[in-house]
Amino acid sequence: MTLDPRITGRFEYGQDQQVEGMLHARILRSPHAHAKVLSINTSEVPQQVVTLTRDDVADLEPLYGPMVKDQPIVARERVLHVGDAVAAVAAGTPREAEEAIALVEVEYEEMPGVFDPVDATGDAAPLLHDGIEIPAELRPDGRNICHRFRLQSGLGQQGFELADVVVEDTFAVAAAAHVAMEPHATLAYWEEGRLHVITGTQTPFNVRRDLAALFRLSEEMIRIVVAPMGGSFGAKTFMRLEPITAALARKARRPVRAVLTRGEEFLTVNRHPARFHIRLGATRDGTFVAKSVDAWWDTGAYADCGPSVCTKGGYAAIGPYRIPNVTVDSRCVYTNLPPAGAFRGYAATQGVWASERVTDLMAGRLEIDPLELRLRNLLRDGDRFATGEVMRDVRFAACLRAAAEAVDWSEGRKNKGLAVMLKGMQTPSRTGVALEIDAGGHILLRSATTDMGQRPDIAQRNLAAEALGLSPDLIAVGPNDTDLVPFDTRTTSSRSTFMMSNAIREAANDLRRKIAERFEVAPEDLVLSDEGAGVAGSPDLSRPLADLAGLRGDGTFVTPGGLDPDTGQGIASSHWHQAAASAEVRVDPETGVTSITRLHTAVYAGNVVDRPGAELQNEGSTIFGIGTALFEGIVFEGGQVTNGNLSDYEIPSILDVPDFTYDLLEGGEHSHGLGEMAVPVVPAAIGNAVAAAGHPVRNLPMSAEAVLGSSTSQGLRRPSSPQGGWEGD
Amino acid sequence: MEEPEWHSPASIEEALALKVRLGDAATVVAGGTFTGILVANDLIRPHAFIHLARLPGLDRIEIGDELHLGAMVTHRRVERSSEIRESPWACVAECFASVASPRIRNQATVGGVLCDADYASDPPTLLVALGARVRLRSPSGERDVLVADFIKDHYETALGADELLIDVVVPRPPRHVTYFKFKSRSSEDRPCVGVAVAAEVDDSGRCRSLRVVVGAVSGRPQEFPQACAVALGDRITIDVATEIGHQYSELASTLSDVRGSAAYRKRLIAVLVRRSLETLAA
Repeated sequence: MTLDPRITGRFEYGQDQQVEGMLHARILRSPHAHAKVLSINTSEVPQQVVTLTRDDVADLEPLYGPMVKDQPIVARERVLHVGDAVAAVAAGTPREAEEAIALVEVEYEEMPGVFDPVDATGDAAPLLHDGIEIPAELRPDGRNICHRFRLQSGLGQQGFELADVVVEDTFAVAAAAHVAMEPHATLAYWEEGRLHVITGTQTPFNVRRDLAALFRLSEEMIRIVVAPMGGSFGAKTFMRLEPITAALARKARRPVRAVLTRGEEFLTVNRHPARFHIRLGATRDGTFVAKSVDAWWDTGAYADCGPSVCTKGGYAAIGPYRIPNVTVDSRCVYTNLPPAGAFRGYAATQGVWASERVTDLMAGRLEIDPLELRLRNLLRDGDRFATGEVMRDVRFAACLRAAAEAVDWSEGRKNKGLAVMLKGMQTPSRTGVALEIDAGGHILLRSATTDMGQRPDIAQRNLAAEALGLSPDLIAVGPNDTDLVPFDTRTTSSRSTFMMSNAIREAANDLRRKIAERFEVAPEDLVLSDEGAGVAGSPDLSRPLADLAGLRGDGTFVTPGGLDPDTGQGIASSHWHQAAASAEVRVDPETGVTSITRLHTAVYAGNVVDRPGAELQNEGSTIFGIGTALFEGIVFEGGQVTNGNLSDYEIPSILDVPDFTYDLLEGGEHSHGLGEMAVPVVPAAIGNAVAAAGHPVRNLPMSAEAVLGSSTSQGLRRPSSPQGGWEGD
Repeated sequence: MEEPEWHSPASIEEALALKVRLGDAATVVAGGTFTGILVANDLIRPHAFIHLARLPGLDRIEIGDELHLGAMVTHRRVERSSEIRESPWACVAECFASVASPRIRNQATVGGVLCDADYASDPPTLLVALGARVRLRSPSGERDVLVADFIKDHYETALGADELLIDVVVPRPPRHVTYFKFKSRSSEDRPCVGVAVAAEVDDSGRCRSLRVVVGAVSGRPQEFPQACAVALGDRITIDVATEIGHQYSELASTLSDVRGSAAYRKRLIAVLVRRSLETLAA
């Protein structure tokens, strides 16, 4: 019996990669949230240990970043967050590196920091970045704001004049840690001027592009080999350890591997803390007429993908509703916290939390059943979303009805809550894939889809097998190496199954054409089976696939789109992730502890490609949602992470997971990604259930203490300000 | 930086001699669940470790007039011991079972949890309520110290520089004992508040003795005998339970951490002490 190497321990993750002569890296990190770096002294470090400071990278591009070039490889004049890289060493053993790092002396001059996104936009706040270039497509309008996404549809704010009733409230969502079992890990080496990087990343082509820019090389001089990841959840997107490891390897002239500790993970990339103020206006019969979303996203010291987060979270907070008059003002703000980046549920988690709590406030005010109110306002096929795009293949109502039914909504709403969402996919987007017949008669699938535990190989083999009419056993997935695979935007935003399914279909058609050419017949006369290729009606012409070795079909799929950052109009998403959840809870009125008695998610799955994989992904994202809902949150004090370990920062254990149920709603013409659909709706449904139980919570996580402290009246008064206040708005 | 020395003495005498010789430079390791966190987070950098795993006899569980738990007995063994579970000390097994996860309980020891004196622990709270003692051995002999006196404050105990904790001795529990672990987050969390109740109740339901201890809310388990006096001599009623809860809430000093604020803990103590005593009232 062949056991899965993931189970036997033989599987080689990023942190297991090694090459001969490899050195081990350690990073010296800033203990301060904001400080001048006066001097760095490495003279005490033993000779055989390679050190890297700002002087060693002076010949490179000074800054990198996927959207804004604002991050240095190691600190230059200042450090901007606790954990900011100041220097690095590479040594023969991890212990030697650890000891060497302690011998680097750094002199700092502390500066005031800012740790709140609203405070950071005030005149008194220290300016984090000075003289950086903000790309033309971003709108850095305001102090420490790297991007501001605005949307206006219909009459905008004036739309509230049409409302009989207006509800509003403020909400906050805490930072969260990804807690992938495997930490970030990267191995880099240089060979004849060419940089080779073996790294656990969801974004090989972004890393290639950004390393090329940083090291002033052409992209062909960079090779990225994707190591399979022991989980990522967004943490391993864009450049993390790659620049510092490559720079160390360049200086050392030896291969260098870097692996983060669990504590460093909390200082490297987290989920954006966010704050919202949302107003919703409706007529007395429950028709939404106007909505405004004000949002502040704390992207930490470096923008990373924050501008995209504030855009996607900005429109996610509108919700899947027909609202003629909408305004969104969503700000991505620099603070002296560790950087925030992509996180499973990408921006929708925060936006849906605020939006769906407000939907329930409106239901309460109008005394309309929250299910009924939602159904009355949900987008339908052919409706225009606030971005102006026409909605197709709409399943919001089906998802919501399935969720409501699962908790017997019609039999009573006590202690129950609902939530429904739309979540965009990376748009515009491009995916290439190749199908190549090898000498053994297998079809080699060349794809850049990265493996972070979501079984992409099974999904892709199934897709290729179906497109070619062959058994999945005949399909093999080739190595994930930018030298060998066609370009793909990245494995994020639950886009891969959708994009790959279309690209693979193209590649299969192309391969059929190539084979048909070899037989000198029309593609429709080609007969392809596990036994080989042949021509309809001429069985004697059949040949085994191995005879066709070298033939290759290429497929590309491109989705156009994008939003205007000033008006929010355009194409937000080439297709929409649609999901709903329902929850029933019991709240201990004396302790505030929430027990989930029923939980259901209903996600639109399109054509399911890998049923067990799809189920596992939805179960995983439901559990993610439970953690975010009830207790996951990074605590900062003066920019320091005070719970940066897995004893103080807790994720759900299996005993925290209630018996939950779910529907994968199938149908339509496409295959969909569904690796993160439950994450945004689960907290919102639980929150609405907790509110229905008499505790109108506003912030995530809903700690027992916060639930106990929340008012028991369902009033619509403006809440006491979250820390920092709302003076800015 | 030198490699720390790792000592695995084969006898208690050898371990004591090492401890005396190495003094502050050495850290004693039992299961390593606490020391491991301290070292991993660079909170301590000992020059030497004295590992107790090879010491004979420290892994014994004995039940007689009193329960003896050797210092190296793991939480998991206390939890799983059918001898303990079927004895009047079953409450001890249940309390150790409430700690963390099986992986931790397979490693963490009875001696370790007391010597760490980490406030966010479960067993010390119950052991104080049961009047348990620790047996300390030094080159000059042995002495017994009540757990209530042994844990002095955060990470501070009465253990002498030349002593090792070798045994935990638990007297026969009274008829009614409960330990309630209140967790504010995950099921594997440390306690936000722990409440232990040990009460002797006679056949007519009258309360003859009552000890209530709250733990995990400050540097050491706290007990307020004066607040319990109201319960003695009669059946415990809901009103009495409520009154004792209020008293404890007022008297206890509480701290704030990731599991809850000091004020929240005060509020919880009133509720949890009352609820624990309500089971007596019922």
